[in-house]
Amino acid sequence: MELLNNLGLGLGVALSLTNLSYCFLGALLGTLVGVIPGLGVLAAISMLFPLTFNLEPTTALIMLAGIWYGTTYGGSTASILLNLPGTPANAVTCLDGYPMARQGRGGVALFMTTVASFFGASFGIILLTLFTPIIAEYALSFGSAEYFALMLMGLIASSTVSNGSAVKGLSMVVLGIIIGLVGMDTQTAAMRYTFGILGLLEGVSLIALAMGVFGVAEIIMSIRRVNKADIDPESVKLKAIKPTADEVRRSWLPMLRGSSLGSFFGTLPGTGPSIAAFLSYAVEKRVSSSPERFGKGAIEGIMGPEAANNAADQTAFIPTLSLGVPGSATMALMLGALMIHGIAPGPTLITDQPELFWGLIMSFWVGNIILLLLNIPLIGVWVRLLMIPYNILYPAVLMFICIGAYASGMMVLNVWMVAIFGALGFVMRVLNFPGAPLLLGFVLGPMMEEHFRRAMVLSRGDFMTFFDRPISSVIMILTGLILLWSVWSSEGFRQRRSQRSESV
Amino acid sequence: MYKHNYTDMAGGALMIAIGATVSLIAISEYSLGSLKRMGPGMFPAGLGAILTFLGLILVIQSFGKAGERPDIRFWSPLFVLGGIAAFALIIVPFGLIPAILAITIISSFAELKVRPVSLAILCLALCILAPGVFRFGLGLQLPLIQWPF
Repeated sequence: MELLNNLGLGLGVALSLTNLSYCFLGALLGTLVGVIPGLGVLAAISMLFPLTFNLEPTTALIMLAGIWYGTTYGGSTASILLNLPGTPANAVTCLDGYPMARQGRGGVALFMTTVASFFGASFGIILLTLFTPIIAEYALSFGSAEYFALMLMGLIASSTVSNGSAVKGLSMVVLGIIIGLVGMDTQTAAMRYTFGILGLLEGVSLIALAMGVFGVAEIIMSIRRVNKADIDPESVKLKAIKPTADEVRRSWLPMLRGSSLGSFFGTLPGTGPSIAAFLSYAVEKRVSSSPERFGKGAIEGIMGPEAANNAADQTAFIPTLSLGVPGSATMALMLGALMIHGIAPGPTLITDQPELFWGLIMSFWVGNIILLLLNIPLIGVWVRLLMIPYNILYPAVLMFICIGAYASGMMVLNVWMVAIFGALGFVMRVLNFPGAPLLLGFVLGPMMEEHFRRAMVLSRGDFMTFFDRPISSVIMILTGLILLWSVWSSEGFRQRRSQRSESV
Repeated sequence: MYKHNYTDMAGGALMIAIGATVSLIAISEYSLGSLKRMGPGMFPAGLGAILTFLGLILVIQSFGKAGERPDIRFWSPLFVLGGIAAFALIIVPFGLIPAILAITIISSFAELKVRPVSLAILCLALCILAPGVFRFGLGLQLPLIQWPF
């Protein structure tokens, strides 16, 4: 009964005219940016973030969430039509979506991925509604030792489980935490690493960091590499989007399996939508009676992964909203956005800010319905957007990044920061370092330090406090196991896998 | 293909340099405190040490594996970052419109091909669109154009 009341409260918040229109705007802009090749969800959120500065926290978060899942929807469009994944989570969709587009069934593929995305997202939202309050209540008993252990596990898992070298992932996490140190130390008011620059007193701007590392660096890497679309406009006309009865029949089970897989992996730190999508594809290929069709335009090969990555997108909010511990860089960015709007994340969020929490959850649903309605008639528009040459798109995107950076705090310093982090992101990319762990470390770093220092004060300088308390010791042991596993599996296995992912 | 992975070697060296610098600054400039009551320098000093250690592992590993020649573009980062720098220099003294023109024109050179007509149209479109969104849509106090002298 209480749940129904809460859902009603949330629905009321989500359906208010302001929130509804910003949800719509966010979803629209997110899809728009998601369609542009080379700009992932992190770049999209950080680019559009300045638009939310003047909004109420709830409205701002609703709009940001809209941008976020809009990007995921938009990303599948670029995957299918161009064989260019708009976001890493959509990379699998290329495998069967692009062949479908080549066969003149691009419209069907786009329509069906929209359906799969909606199905997966709804599945994730139901779980989110049911489990977040339970976990949050449980987490009320957590102390600093538990929080430190949880954050440590989140950081280590997300930097070692993802593709590529574990050592490089860990280096980026540590570098991110170091960048997070810049500014005034909250406990002693000492200035750290500000080099006498007044604007750095409050630390490095999250927006400038994300725009530099994910926006600018991405653009530098894409220039003269992204080719103009080679799309047959006929294949995506509205009348060409109707799937056959056979395709509909073959889509149900993959969607269901994909949603379950996605929901599970979405909640774990470090896995998230990309891994869920890859696994879902592997599962569909395994259970299929005709695996040879995969890679040549099998509808199962897009339905499963798209349902999986959208379900994972939603369940990733469970640890973020219930514990205040994000499991992925995207969630870290959302959390950072919350903090910029003056809201402290954590288990008390649900009881302290019920309008925000339930409003956000119900807006997920509203937003996904908006996307469903938006995407099907607008498929033609997105396609036309893909046909805009990149040499016109990227200066425009850069301009928006610059103005957005300047507008965040009206400081020229932030524009310089974008340039510096753009350079850093470019160097990292050339040297094959992943960007996401850097952002995660940056957001979690200050909280981690605070909890670490507080736990050490409480234990009178005894490191064993992290192992004496049962919950924190379980988490620490798990973290140790993840670390051991990543060391054990690092060399041969990882090298092969990273080579394979590069060739995709 | 190279005999050693020079990309990882350079990356490791960079991490060692950053880590060592961070630790040195922390130890020399900020008070470390004790484990019971940590000062502002303790956490950074530890982080710097960890980063140095990770960098060392990368360098050591890089000798054991072959590496590919990285694909480095020189002009793309130069023009893109140069455009952003120009924007930063221009926005306050001269206002929004000159800053937009600067970043659009400079960054478009990264294509290494100048298309005067499409560039002019793009500049015009952005100079109308950007003030529309940020100044009139979002109400940001940005002067469109001004002469500081």
